[in-house]
Amino acid sequence: MEAYFKTEGLSVGYNGRTLIDDINIALEEGKILTLIGPNGAGKSTILKTVTKQLEKIGGSVYIGGCELYSMQPKMLAQNMAVVLTERIRPELMTCAEVVAMGRYPYTNMFGKLTREDEKAVNDALAMVHALELAGQDFMTLSDGQRQRIMLARAICQEPKILVLDEPTAYLDIRYKVELLEILQELARTKKATIVMSLHEIDLALKASDFIICVGDSKITAFGTPEDVVKEMSIEKLYGMETGSFRKWFPHLLSDYE
Amino acid sequence: MAETIETKKIGSAARFIAVMIFLAALFVVAIILNINSGSVSVGRGDIASMLLKGTKYGFLNAVTGGNYSDELGSVVRASTESQIIFSIRLPRMILAAVLGGALSVSGYLLQVFFRNPIAGPFVLGISSGAKMIVGITMIFLAPFIGSLSSITIIFAAFLGSVLVTGIVLVFAQNVKSMSMLLVIGIMVGYICNAVTDFCINFAADHDVVNLKNWSMGSFSGADWGFVEAALLMCIPGFLCALLLSKPISAYSLGEGYARSMGIRVKPFRVILILLSSLLSACVTALAGPISFVGIAVPHITRSLLKSSKPIFVIPGSFLCGAVFCMLCDLIARTLFAPTELTIGTVTAFFGAPIVIYMMIKRRRLQEG
Repeated sequence: MEAYFKTEGLSVGYNGRTLIDDINIALEEGKILTLIGPNGAGKSTILKTVTKQLEKIGGSVYIGGCELYSMQPKMLAQNMAVVLTERIRPELMTCAEVVAMGRYPYTNMFGKLTREDEKAVNDALAMVHALELAGQDFMTLSDGQRQRIMLARAICQEPKILVLDEPTAYLDIRYKVELLEILQELARTKKATIVMSLHEIDLALKASDFIICVGDSKITAFGTPEDVVKEMSIEKLYGMETGSFRKWFPHLLSDYE
Repeated sequence: MAETIETKKIGSAARFIAVMIFLAALFVVAIILNINSGSVSVGRGDIASMLLKGTKYGFLNAVTGGNYSDELGSVVRASTESQIIFSIRLPRMILAAVLGGALSVSGYLLQVFFRNPIAGPFVLGISSGAKMIVGITMIFLAPFIGSLSSITIIFAAFLGSVLVTGIVLVFAQNVKSMSMLLVIGIMVGYICNAVTDFCINFAADHDVVNLKNWSMGSFSGADWGFVEAALLMCIPGFLCALLLSKPISAYSLGEGYARSMGIRVKPFRVILILLSSLLSACVTALAGPISFVGIAVPHITRSLLKSSKPIFVIPGSFLCGAVFCMLCDLIARTLFAPTELTIGTVTAFFGAPIVIYMMIKRRRLQEG
């Protein structure tokens, strides 16, 4: 099957200085890919580059066969949605209004919502189990609720690929699990391709179809969770003593043995 | 649950209409008060019939391109009272309304740009920059250009606005904090004022008489030429702002999200800042620097609307700013008549407490 999301020899970095180069990823439609690695290794840099928040240094990124940098902004917006780490502080906006922003690439020049748009907003809120928050002021929500609304906004954009930068940060375990379940459902039912970064390795291994290890200015491993665990990639990635990951998370390994 | 979103939407739209009707009613009251008050009292009935005739011929004259100028002239020159109404009070009132609206929209655009509710053309030093360049033009260039048309002054003010905005922007890229941005704006404003004062000190008296009056900020110099210039600049500016309301709403979620929704962020920011500068330059050129309207009015409007949807807030701010400036100008010219207050005195008196209140409320929100 043809890969929906693909990078070829991609190099990323800031201000023209390469941080990580030769990134080659191929991901089929409806699969979940998670980037793991130590802080500051460059997970965010990669995600920002493939979402065009940051200029690439070299190489190419393909979304559904189109080169990212040759796509019109509007067309890209209709194919890709994001959940960023930057915290938004909209004044006097209800959750429904924040979610409805996801309709931006589809509405007319004054942003008028049609019936279909309203249905999409409603469906997205239902999908993240936040219908009861629709009329509430966004600023009054807890972190967990805000993150769900931001996810609903992205879903409402009807993306074929969804990119999330540490979507589970600041959330307690209940919301972390809930969020990952919603993502799995999206991948399964809507065939959405999902690329994200996570800090929690245990959750990443459970939730993803593929794992990329980003460490020390290079991609150290790319494969299924099983491959990554078996090859001791995680211990290498975080510079842990051989066997220490096995010692602390034996259950994760027993799944594959 | 579909009803919830629906009712909410109708709710905010209904509220918008209610607020606009309320502001329109205040607008009518402000018109009546402004036309009726002054050192010469004119009978109500006379005013009504004068206005009716004046509007009729003024409209016909404008539409036909000057065919009715004789009739219009005879209505205006009919009596001292009619001259006062048509040549002094009416243009002054319209100027206050248009410029008040423009200033509010300009402030609103700056607040969007800096993502900061305290931003405004006056606090960021933009008005002072406009004043500086206009001052230099009046003192040093007037002898070469001859008489200065209002368009020349608007252009000079625009140059000054863009200059200061540019300086503030350069600093703003390095400092992200809101208070630092304001400090920079205020300091740049002081430097511009110092340069202006310096120029005034060394200029010949007859060059600076106008400048001194103008730099205090007042609508007293209003004539129909000013009104025409204001309408020509501000109405298109206002419409452009309205056309930007969709990207503005997305921009309120932050630059990253705006970009991900298909906005070309860089050109959008350039348009935003140029439009805001143009509007505030127009105000500064025609009425001098006016404080606090740009901050206070958008805030009042948002609070009235209980929404920050740009498509509602932009027209709301324009109308609210028009009413605010008309009433402030009324107070400025009648409270201690025949002595006239500068418009800045009045707007600061009402605007500054609102700004203080906003700062405290936001602080509480951030801590709580």
